[in-house]
Amino acid sequence: MRAVDSCKRKLRIGTFDYFGAGVSPEDIFGVLFTDDNSFSCEPLHVSTDFMVFGPQNHCLYPIILVNNTMDIIEDDEQLGETSEQDSELSDGELQDAFAKGLLKPGLNFTTQEPKKIVNNVEGLKQCLADFRKNTLPWIERLDMVNLPADDIVAKSEGRLDNKASEDINPDDDFQREMFFYRQAQEAVLEAMPRLLKLKIATKRPEDYFAEMAKSDQQMQKIRKKLITKQIMMEKSEKAKKLREQRKYGKKVQVEVIQKRQREKKAMMSSVKRYQKGMTDKLDFLEGDQKTAKGGAPAKGGAPAKGGAGKGSGGQTPDKKAMNKKGPNAKRKYKDQRFGFGGKKSGTKWNTKDSHNDVSGFRAKVAHGKGGKGGKGGKAGPGGRGPAKGGAKRLGKNARKKMKGRS
Amino acid sequence: MSALKRKRGGKGPGGKAKKVKLVENGNKPQTTEMEQNKEITVPPPVDITTWTNWRNKERVLVFSSRGINFRTRHLMQDLRTMMPHTKADTKMDRKDKLFVINEVCEIKNCNKCLFFEAKKKQDLYMWVANVPHGPSAKFLVQNVHTLAELKMTGNCLKGSRPLLSFDPQFDTEPHYALLKELFIQTFSTPQYHPRSQPFVDHVFTFTITDNRIWFRNYQIIEEDASMVEIGPRFVLNLIKIFQGSFGGPTLFENPHFESPNTHRRVIRMATASRLREKQMVKELQKLKRTENKEAVTRDVTDDVFATPAEERPVHIELEAPAAKVVKKNKHKAFKRQRKQNR
Repeated sequence: MRAVDSCKRKLRIGTFDYFGAGVSPEDIFGVLFTDDNSFSCEPLHVSTDFMVFGPQNHCLYPIILVNNTMDIIEDDEQLGETSEQDSELSDGELQDAFAKGLLKPGLNFTTQEPKKIVNNVEGLKQCLADFRKNTLPWIERLDMVNLPADDIVAKSEGRLDNKASEDINPDDDFQREMFFYRQAQEAVLEAMPRLLKLKIATKRPEDYFAEMAKSDQQMQKIRKKLITKQIMMEKSEKAKKLREQRKYGKKVQVEVIQKRQREKKAMMSSVKRYQKGMTDKLDFLEGDQKTAKGGAPAKGGAPAKGGAGKGSGGQTPDKKAMNKKGPNAKRKYKDQRFGFGGKKSGTKWNTKDSHNDVSGFRAKVAHGKGGKGGKGGKAGPGGRGPAKGGAKRLGKNARKKMKGRS
Repeated sequence: MSALKRKRGGKGPGGKAKKVKLVENGNKPQTTEMEQNKEITVPPPVDITTWTNWRNKERVLVFSSRGINFRTRHLMQDLRTMMPHTKADTKMDRKDKLFVINEVCEIKNCNKCLFFEAKKKQDLYMWVANVPHGPSAKFLVQNVHTLAELKMTGNCLKGSRPLLSFDPQFDTEPHYALLKELFIQTFSTPQYHPRSQPFVDHVFTFTITDNRIWFRNYQIIEEDASMVEIGPRFVLNLIKIFQGSFGGPTLFENPHFESPNTHRRVIRMATASRLREKQMVKELQKLKRTENKEAVTRDVTDDVFATPAEERPVHIELEAPAAKVVKKNKHKAFKRQRKQNR
């Protein structure tokens, strides 16, 4: 039987004390066991062939294999040492080792010894002692050993102040760099008084011009880069704010439009209902009236054709409020009529949109509500003019007749 | 360099007030200013006895092997700018063994050496050595950022003396203590060095994190320790410490060090193993597909919907079914009326 094992070159057959009687190391023989618990002893060739009996070969008892001693490790390290004949560990030595008790019974495996890392502490200390220049005063070396300074930010946030360098996470760039920065700070804070005592300055005088480590050109480049960075940041901030504002403004606008549309819809539906005769009350106009009363006189006055005095007269009820609301209504009307080159042709077409557009619909004017009483009283001294503009607008033929008459 | 020969300490062609060096005994500058106005040849503005105070004769040789890239070259230049007690040398041939460096240093009369070695045009190794007898250490340099980077906004006097700051961890282990001593002697500018400036306006920090040594250089702006980074910056990963200069018995080996080749290999193997796994899975699937599958004769779900009802005879309709009479509801009120009554 041949051994088929990965570390075959290192296996040996050893002896074991099966019988209880002391087997002398000289009598090496392999004991072959079979399944029916019988055994036979036979001498073996203790040479390059060796037999491996293990549980996989359906044997009851494993054969003792020799544990690797230090000699064999050296074999491992000498790469290319594959031939068993050159193996240094002879059987005689094995026998001796077993006798001394270095080998234990049982299945032993070859193990690689862990690689020795050199750490010659004594040597290091000796070297340091030789190398150190003890004659140098501190002023020549300027070395400090210090922990980093207190981290104000972390303390204010209540975080644990990790002072030791083992605590920091080397992958967290910001934390690491801040740690180095604080260490440098602490060194400076400690060294300043010492340097002052020894009369060494750390600040150079204003007129001291000397060559710097980085040229002026380099510093200019750096400065420019910093400025551009700053500008970019500001721009992005502005853009962000603008976007936010626009979003908000859009929201508000949408809401206002929706509200207007809802009101218009409600008004139109109530008007339709009245027209169709479903309701006979004109309650829906109530809401309109209250607002219209304040606004109507002003609105009635403004559209008067070129009537300057009437415009001012019409404004009296809430003049200040009207003045606040941007350009005058009169101004607006004039702009609309004469501004940007005057009236354009084609502004009055009966398109679908213009037909559907009921923004020019004034309920009060249409029904003549509140206009007759208010207008008649207020604009009395004005004469015929206001009567013409404030009251309900007559039909085309009626107007023609009126025109002819006046 | 001016074409005019300038006497040491004499006036330049500009004739303006030269830099006034701060002197230990500060009474000298006053007299020299007056003398400058009268005479052409002027005595040096600094007391000459102070020049002999330069006792700490440290000289560092900074050079490299062939095959370095631009970043390493700039780093070397930056180190020479920062440390006025350095000397440069030409690139060393790769054929020469490392102990040749000792001879080069001797020729240049240097007693420390910073040697940069580039391998595979990718990895940068740095040797810090005390040349004649002393210890030397080899590092792997990573994360190099030079002075010229625009993010390093600080500036300092060329050749001003640095303050060195070390992490307390440097005092705990003997190998770190040795490294600390080596760094102090190499990086600190000697006082009264002819090319140095008398002010202390920047700090070198050495910190140990993640089993590596991090180097930073900060400018001191204010006395209250507000700082800006000048650069350069790099990270040193210790490989070995030797007792001799560029040789000798190993005193310390870093157990946490993983060579860059191993690192790349690990990454490659990881990707390779992932690919291999995918392939294996695919092959297994193929195998399964081509396997002889046993034909299932009886469907297990056949009798799920079997309802035990008796069969009805099949009835075929020959006539069409009668049409359904749809009656319109004439009694529904009109829509308008319905609305009104609502």
